[in-house]
Amino acid sequence: MADEPTLPCLPPTSRLAASLSNAGRKRTRGLNPPTYNLSTSSDPAVFSSDDDPALDNYIHGRRKKRYVGTWYDQHPASSDSADSAMGDDMRPPPLKPRQQRQFKRRFDSGVWMAQTDVSTDADESMDLDPPVSRLPLPVSPSVSLRPRYSAEEANAQRIIQSCIDGGREEVDLSALQLCSIPNAILELVSLIAPIPTVAKDVAFEQRDPSIKLFLSNNSLRQFPSAIFNVDHLTVLSLRANRLTELPPAIASLKNLETLNIAQNKLRSLPGELLSLMKAGSKLTDIQLHPNPFYQPNVPNCSSSGADEYEQGTFGPKDDDGMCESWYGFTTSLLARTPVQFSNRSTVVSRFEFPTVSSLPTHLRKLELEELWSLEIPKAIGGQLGPHLDDVRESMPKGAPSLFELALRAAVGHPDRESAKCVLSEQCVSNHFAAAFDRAAHISDVGGQTCCVCGRDTIMPVTEWIEFRELQRTQVIVAGSGESLVENWYSVRVSNNGDEHCVPFVRRGCSWNCIPFKASEPSEPSKDLELSEL
Amino acid sequence: MATKSDGPSNSKYITMVSSDGFEFVVIREASLISPTIKAMLRNNFSEAKTGRCVFPDISGLVLEKVVEYLYYYHKNVNVPYVPDMEIPVELCLVLLEAADYFQLDSVTVGTAFRSMGDTLKF
Repeated sequence: MADEPTLPCLPPTSRLAASLSNAGRKRTRGLNPPTYNLSTSSDPAVFSSDDDPALDNYIHGRRKKRYVGTWYDQHPASSDSADSAMGDDMRPPPLKPRQQRQFKRRFDSGVWMAQTDVSTDADESMDLDPPVSRLPLPVSPSVSLRPRYSAEEANAQRIIQSCIDGGREEVDLSALQLCSIPNAILELVSLIAPIPTVAKDVAFEQRDPSIKLFLSNNSLRQFPSAIFNVDHLTVLSLRANRLTELPPAIASLKNLETLNIAQNKLRSLPGELLSLMKAGSKLTDIQLHPNPFYQPNVPNCSSSGADEYEQGTFGPKDDDGMCESWYGFTTSLLARTPVQFSNRSTVVSRFEFPTVSSLPTHLRKLELEELWSLEIPKAIGGQLGPHLDDVRESMPKGAPSLFELALRAAVGHPDRESAKCVLSEQCVSNHFAAAFDRAAHISDVGGQTCCVCGRDTIMPVTEWIEFRELQRTQVIVAGSGESLVENWYSVRVSNNGDEHCVPFVRRGCSWNCIPFKASEPSEPSKDLELSEL
Repeated sequence: MATKSDGPSNSKYITMVSSDGFEFVVIREASLISPTIKAMLRNNFSEAKTGRCVFPDISGLVLEKVVEYLYYYHKNVNVPYVPDMEIPVELCLVLLEAADYFQLDSVTVGTAFRSMGDTLKF
């Protein structure tokens, strides 16, 4: 090793000698180490070599010499150069204190690189100016403020945490005086996983959790949207809260078996909830009453043409036959209200839903419209498409409006609050602010779609209410193969007059998304026949 | 672009001018999607005669996006499952105002869209 030849040290050529020998055709190097031309696109090469005469001190962890640049203008880059590597005592003290890493742009490289002559590994944050936006940016995105929870919320968090730790699937957050529950806390519920039984002669089995969430006897005003992220929610109780509406996204809780929303301030249910109340769904228990629901102004309503109306409005049912017996809820349509048409959040039709927050009982009665008639304001009626009476395909058609597109973009802004401040400062009318609030609320609770065409919609322009009757239904499938027989048995859930009709609100995104007009019956309408279970 | 033979009042194109002087030549049919423009072009207004609509409150940047939307809508009137048009976040608030000005809000979506310019009468 020691007698390995070393690279020859190039004698420093003087300018004079260079000019004599090469007559200026070759590049000359001065005595000073060359300064690197910053216009070269990449860093100079760094290489190390073992060509040190003092190679016998490998044991002391000698660092290899490092050279920067081309071989002919080599000079040590690392601190232990050839001179200092003779012994540790002779090593000069480090001259430069550790410098901050500086980023410097090599202009044609397109890459930001640290300067090579500083050997520090400390990661320094880049001091780049944030891009200038016309909207106010979040004040200090780097500072993450730990949210402060109230005592009640902290209590809830503790309970959820203990459920996670113990693998218990029943989360009992009832009667905690919660006015709201932050999503960050409630999202923890989805972390719950059951602890599998480990015993002799029992096969190890990983099963999906079936989470039961009890939020009853609190003061929640808004449906906590984090619930939608809990995949395996089977029981949800929101009994005795102050909810005024259920979000349409509740239909995404496909695993729900029990739903209790009694003793709230609900006036209607979202029509999307009906997707949990049809054959094949898992929901087997639902508690809706008491709630200040809208009621029809006619006590015993029932009308024909329900099937025609449903197929015409929402497209043909995907009726793919039951292959196994099923027990759950179904609904049957009793009546519907006229359609409320609105234009820029002002109602333009004669029929209008009451807007007062607390309603006396007599105002909760809504008028009805026969399924074969459809009242459309004159100015709109003439302009609707000619296909009004056709059975519509249920698919979104056409482009969303610019207003809605812009609203969606605004709501998606990271700093929504200051965007709203800008909006209310700039605009004279509070139409925008109201629309913005609405959009923000809807995107918080998981979106809202048009019931007819299925398009996302923030400001529905048509709204009507279907009164439906809940039935417990059992389907018993007998036989097999070709001779499969389905027997449907339905029984009314409630015969009590007040709880008979349950209102489901339907929302349409355009003036074309309205109920289908059933054909006028020639005979008087028959009562629905219900067979006993 | 405007055809000279029909005169500006019947030409296939109209010109939209922004506050900072940018001019956009738009197919008339697409521009009529906006009830506001439709009303401008309808009667004996100077816009109807010259086919030139000046919007002194709307900057070129915003008007460009509006024109883009007009074409986007025009192209996708009856196309199912249209992908949303990109709206840059920094423009969304001004575009909200512009959408309100051009009456391109949710009510006009659908096939009812094309003929909505008349005042609602009940």
